[in-house]
Amino acid sequence: MNDIVVSSRVRLARNYDDLPFPHKMTPEQGDACVVRTLEALRDVPESYRFIPMKNEGDMEKKALVEGHLISPDLLLRKEGAALIRSDGAVSIMINEEDHLRIQAFAPGENLQAAAENAFRVEEALAGRLNFAFDGQLGYLTACPTNIGTGMRASMMVHLPMLTLFKQMGKVNQVAAKLGLTIRGIYGEGSEARGNLYQISNQVTLGRTEREISEAVSAVARQLTEMERTFRERTLEKDSVGFLDQMFRSYGLLSNARRMQEKEFMAHWSNLRLGAAMGKLPVTTALCDELLTKGQSAQVQQAAGKPLTNREIDEKRSDLLRRALTGGE
Amino acid sequence: MLCEECGERQAEVLVTTVVGGESVTRHLCRECLKKYQAGDLQAVLAAVLALMTQKEKQPEITCPHCGMAFSEFEKSGMLGCAECYQAFRAQLTPLITKVQGRAQHAGRRPRLSAEEQERQQKIEALRTQMEAAVAVENFEEAARLRDEIRAMEPAREAEA
Repeated sequence: MNDIVVSSRVRLARNYDDLPFPHKMTPEQGDACVVRTLEALRDVPESYRFIPMKNEGDMEKKALVEGHLISPDLLLRKEGAALIRSDGAVSIMINEEDHLRIQAFAPGENLQAAAENAFRVEEALAGRLNFAFDGQLGYLTACPTNIGTGMRASMMVHLPMLTLFKQMGKVNQVAAKLGLTIRGIYGEGSEARGNLYQISNQVTLGRTEREISEAVSAVARQLTEMERTFRERTLEKDSVGFLDQMFRSYGLLSNARRMQEKEFMAHWSNLRLGAAMGKLPVTTALCDELLTKGQSAQVQQAAGKPLTNREIDEKRSDLLRRALTGGE
Repeated sequence: MLCEECGERQAEVLVTTVVGGESVTRHLCRECLKKYQAGDLQAVLAAVLALMTQKEKQPEITCPHCGMAFSEFEKSGMLGCAECYQAFRAQLTPLITKVQGRAQHAGRRPRLSAEEQERQQKIEALRTQMEAAVAVENFEEAARLRDEIRAMEPAREAEA
């Protein structure tokens, strides 16, 4: 399924039972929330990088958002902080909408691995601190849309053909009936840059964590089947045209000297499509790595200094050329 | 019936307006309907809103723990603290059921402390004894056990 599913993620919302929710906290309470979280995690074997939002540079923060390690919302929180595990597979946002947002990531279709990671962190914290919990409503969160399990399970899926054949509206309706939502990840509004979408559960109460994961997986499987059918059909109908489209993008990404993010995302989609169908000499893993590394703030951060937009576009194409051709 | 807008002329038409997802039905006279149709919506809306706020003029409920008013939640969609769920339970339950589809948690629970586990086991044992006492019609013993169980249960907050 990794021809279509790019990555899996599980997010848990938790709140300490003795502090008001972040938007009602005093700065002192906000700091206390950060301190107790750090102390509770002191003895875990994994190492975390601690990133208080107020001390972090704009470029670094943006790069974290692009990597989906933190949310754009966290940037606006004065007492906001993040803990990023050294392997990048877990991030804990402190003082976002809830006291804690524990996120775990896994490449490809692997919600189970992500969930196991997230719950291991949650249990380490719960062993030392009390989370707000109600027998009827489950884990209590600032917004009632997250109560119960406090869990959001999601998968990033690449659906170029379903997008091209205008199937996303239909797909959305089906998902909504199952208590799930599908939306574009990159780009704003209805635009889904790179034809990348996120499927996630909307309902958090009254279902077990397993049921939630299974519902998301089931829809991802269904989408995978649909997308594959459209890919095969297109290949049957006009294989030269289809291959031409993939190879053109491959050619551009391997040779361009200055490429803007929007253009990169459009060609990236064709590159991954070709990789997933075994038509291009590239792995999907490399495509997924380039997806993150090719985002503007990531390019800038890799350079280690502020760059102009034009320089970013040049560095981006350098990165792509090196990755795809091995040359300079 | 008199027109609800001017209160002078006889009402002849029934107008339904949807405000904030709630429909409000009003009886209007032809003159006021004209005003309404002519696009003088603002006047009508203001009237409808006045009507609605009048309807909603109930005493404000606030959370005793963080002091947040329920009206604040209605605006922001965010609660102030975990205790708000207790304070606004009656107002929140229908809302939660609507949004979430269900109103009973089914997922993981915090692990109980050893103390808490012991307490719950004791209560369970006493309940079994009490039922046995009732079965043999030893009501005196059953009442004693009932009081013992009550004493062990956490103090329940008085229902409003």
